[in-house]
Formats: sequence, C-alpha cells, structure tokens
Amino acid sequence: MRLKHLSLTNFRSYARLESEIPDGILLLKGGNAVGKTSILESLFYCATFSTTLAQQDRHLIRFEAESEDPAVARIVVVYDVEGKERKLEIRLILEGAADVRRFRKEILAEGRKTNAQSAIGQFPAVLFLPHMTEIIDGAPGERRRYLNILLSQSIPGYARALSQYSRAVLQRNALLRTLGERGGDPGQLAYWDELLAAHGAFLTVHRAQAIQTLASLAQSALLRLTDGREILSMRYVPALRTFDETFFQDSASSGAAKEAERIAAISSLIRTNLEADRALDIRRGVSTVGPHRDEMRVMTNAVDVGTYGSRGQVRTTLLALKFAEVDWLKDKTGTIPLLLLDETFSELDASRRRELMRLLNGGGQAIVTTTDLINFSADFLGRQTVWEIRGGIMDKNPERVPMDSNSAAGDALT
Amino acid sequence: MALIPESVQALIDAFSRLPGIGPRTASRLTFFLLKNESDAGEALAEALTKLKSETAFCPECFNIMSAGKERCDICDSNGRDNDVICVVESPMDVIVLEQSGGYFGKYHVLHGALSPIEGINPEDLRMKELFERVEKGGFTEIIVATNPSMEGDATALYIRRKLDRLPIQFSRLARGLPVGGELEYADPNTLLRALSGRQKF
Ligand SMILES: [Zn+2]
Repeated sequence: MRLKHLSLTNFRSYARLESEIPDGILLLKGGNAVGKTSILESLFYCATFSTTLAQQDRHLIRFEAESEDPAVARIVVVYDVEGKERKLEIRLILEGAADVRRFRKEILAEGRKTNAQSAIGQFPAVLFLPHMTEIIDGAPGERRRYLNILLSQSIPGYARALSQYSRAVLQRNALLRTLGERGGDPGQLAYWDELLAAHGAFLTVHRAQAIQTLASLAQSALLRLTDGREILSMRYVPALRTFDETFFQDSASSGAAKEAERIAAISSLIRTNLEADRALDIRRGVSTVGPHRDEMRVMTNAVDVGTYGSRGQVRTTLLALKFAEVDWLKDKTGTIPLLLLDETFSELDASRRRELMRLLNGGGQAIVTTTDLINFSADFLGRQTVWEIRGGIMDKNPERVPMDSNSAAGDALT
Repeated sequence: MALIPESVQALIDAFSRLPGIGPRTASRLTFFLLKNESDAGEALAEALTKLKSETAFCPECFNIMSAGKERCDICDSNGRDNDVICVVESPMDVIVLEQSGGYFGKYHVLHGALSPIEGINPEDLRMKELFERVEKGGFTEIIVATNPSMEGDATALYIRRKLDRLPIQFSRLARGLPVGGELEYADPNTLLRALSGRQKF
C-alpha cells in the first residue's frame, strides 16, 4: 500500500491541510504540541475508525470549529494498492443546538457511504506511540485493545463480531441489573447468552490462533533485537473456566473446518460458563466470563515482562510486538502496512534503532515524527524526506540540521 | 442576546427531535412555515393536535385507529384469516405489510422491541396482551415480524419461549430482509418473498 495524498479539515489543530505524501520514509520534525502526532492520529483513524488518543471521537474536531453548526472534521486519504488508486474519506460531524448536540461519523470509500465494519482493513497501518508500553505492563484492557485493533484490520468478520459481542454484553448487563433490582424471569437471559456464546467464540478462537502466530513472529524479532539473548513467548488467558490451551496447539490440522469445530466447542464452553454463573452475575450486575475479560501475558525467558521487566526490557519487547504486527498484517492483507512512528527513536539505544531502521527500509512507507534530527545521521537524512511542522503549517523545505560532526556518531542512524 | 426569538428556536428544537430530521432540515422547515403565507402552519398545528386527540389504540391488536371506535378495521373485518397472527414492532410495520398485499391474517403491535439498555423490558411492551390473545386459542400460526436487529431477534426468541408449550406453529419473517434492514424500508417484493419464505424457528 502506498499513501499518496492526505487532506485534513478542522482536524485537531489543523484548519486545513493538503499534502502529497512522498514514497519511503517521511520525517516530520517539530517542537512539542505543534501537531505532528495529529498527522499520525488522522492516518491511524483511517485504519481503525476510532480514536486512539482522544477520549472521544468528537474531540478530534478542531476546537475553534466545534461550535459551528454543523461542525465537520474531515480526513481524506488517497492511496494506491497494487497500482489501483483508492480514496477513503471520513467525516466527523457534530450538529444541533448547544443542548441537543449530536455526534456522528460518515465513512466514504471510493465516494460511497459505507460503515466501519465493512471498510476496516482497506487501509492497514501500524501505530507506535511512546506510551504504548502499556500494552506490555498496563491493564488487561490495553492488551485486548492491541489484539482488537490488529485483528479487526486483518480477520474478516472480526470487527463485526466484536461490535455485536460488545453490544450484547451491554444488553445482558443491563438485563442482569434489572433482574437483580426488580426480579423477573431469568429465562430472558437465554437470547443474550446465545449471542455472547456465538460472537464470543469467534473472538476467542481468533485471538487464540493469532496469539500463537504473533508470539512466533515477535520471538524472531526479539531475538534479532537482543542478539539472541531473550526468548519471547505469549500466553493467552481467556476469562473462561476449563479452557484447554492444548486445544489450539494442534497445528497439524488447520483450515476452515478446524476453525468451525473450534468455534463450536468454545461457543458451548462459553454457554456453560454463563449458565453456571447466572446467579452470581445477577447479584453483581455484570457478565463475569467471556472475551471482554480476556488477558494475554508476554514473557521473555519465561519471566513475565509486564510484572518483572525493566523499563528497557518493556520497551524492547514492545518493539518486538510492533514488528510482529507489521509481519502479521503483511501476511494477512497481502500489502505492507503504513508505519506511523511517534517519537520512537529517541527512547531507543543505538542497536535497537538500527533494527528499527532495518524495518523501515524493508520497502514499506513510514511517517516518523521527531523533535530534533540529532538521532539521525546526515547520510540518512540525505536519503529521506524531511518536513518541518510549526503551528499547524507544514514546511516542506526546512533547513536541515544534520547532527554536529563533532558529536559521537555511534548512535546515529546510517 | 439571542439571535433567534425563543418561539422560533423552540420549533427548530422540536423538529430536531424527530427521527431523520437534522438541525439544518429543522431550521429550513421552521423558516418555511414562518414566511409562508398560505395556511401550511395552521394546517400542521391542527393535524398535530388531532393526531393525539382523535386516534386511539385498538384494544385487541394495539394498532392505531380512529378514536371512538371499538376495534380497528383489521380486527373488525370478516374477510381475514383468523388463525394467523403476525407480531410487529410498530403500526408502521402493519401499513407496510398491508401494502405488500401478501398477508391476510391478524396483527399484534408490540410498540417496540426488548432492549434492556434502553430500559425496555417485556412489561413495557404489549407482551402480556399478546400472550393472553394467543392462549385464548384460535391461532394455528404466529409470524414474528420484529426487525432483523439484535433487539428484534431477542424479542422473537422471548415470544417463542413463552408460547412454546402451545400447539402453534412459529415462523420468523425477518430472514428474507436485508441484514440491518427494517420492515419499514423493505420494498413490497422483498416482503412478499419474505412472507412466502418464512421459516419455522
Ligand atoms: Zn385491532
């Protein structure tokens, strides 16, 4: 995939931005809070159709435009897949009088309205933000989000199953609370249990299968990053009793039939779990089993990195997971995803930077933000496109400040 | 100081609350009524007042009917199949099914679908009345034509479970409709196909 053009209107700090995007690696240089990350955010929105950095999607609308009626933020990307030009447009719309403001979004693929679940996966991207170490050492929700974003982009039907499942959980929880407060026929739960079992099984099976593959991809990456010293493994811990891990380790048989068989088995396991917990769930007013409570642990040399890893180890392991994400998307979508790296280089040591460079030079397209160019060698900068952002303005011919020839060149990228 | 007089803003807001009407359309409608010299505004106001005062729900099927009548025309008719009952979410669904020309039985309007999130539970719908009607006997088939949404499906399953023990055939109409489509938006041909292809469930 190759991104050719980005257009933003009323997105974050950008009133208007029209820009061709060069091939290869684009370095965006600029101070803090000048809008570098917003560029990455807008592009990642085209991959996921939900915000990664804002509290709510409506906050992506430029503050100064927010009171207009309607207030519309727009992201348009023109990109190329196997020589075919494509266009994706997203409109975030806030409308109505102050007290009845309504938010909605429209997604247009090739100019035709579509929905997120159909359009997801057309514009695959991998985003790397400094605080994403939370995927390793943060709350379980961070790891579920990592899996959901990745699998929604690459497994047909995953985004739909996730949205149906999430809605069914909300409905079931609301019903549990009604039953707990006012009593009533618990038989009403049967239908929601059925939905949780069917969609939940789809999510569980795909997560289990993906984690196996991701673990082996991330393992090779981490071996490269640590000169063979650290062996990564991952463990899927679904929120289901009597879940049998070995059920997924039978790699001899795979394919659609095997997958259907697994989904049927997990579906009945979820149903059994839900039925056994029914009284407990009614007392608590929440559904206590199922993929919305899943966990995934990452280990190196059999030690849990999230719990025991040093800051540096966590960072390196995250890098390995991100490499795995790129390889996974390449394999599943048949195209190299767009790489979006925010302030990633400054936190890494020289050898990790070199590995990251190798990834960037792997033929894909990348957009990299940085506050200064000190981490990059003059030679590297000479080969890449460097633009500077100042207060929402893109300067495409900035003064290049390659690193001082007297400083230690060892750390620089070459 | 408000730019728009309060009464004008009030009508814009009232229009905005209607389904399918955005703020722009609401303003356009309001300013149209304001400057229009014909009696469009008066006619609208009168129609709106009569809407509530001169309509009522049929005590048997809960479809809308003219106030003062004992039962609706469909319940009153002698020319319909008395052994088939079709359960729908709204009076609009009855109109659509009638226009399809492929259904000749009776109706029951629930006025919604089960949705715990929105606080819509069985007792908030015309469920009890449906069960009483069916238990009285006389129907051999019940067609559940709630929308093919998660909530419509939940409602259909709830009804089936409640009436499971009765010797009555169940069918679900929604299968022939496009996924996510509502009965209201289905064209007559799609509906006819759905009616003839309805499945036991
Ligand atoms: Zn009637």
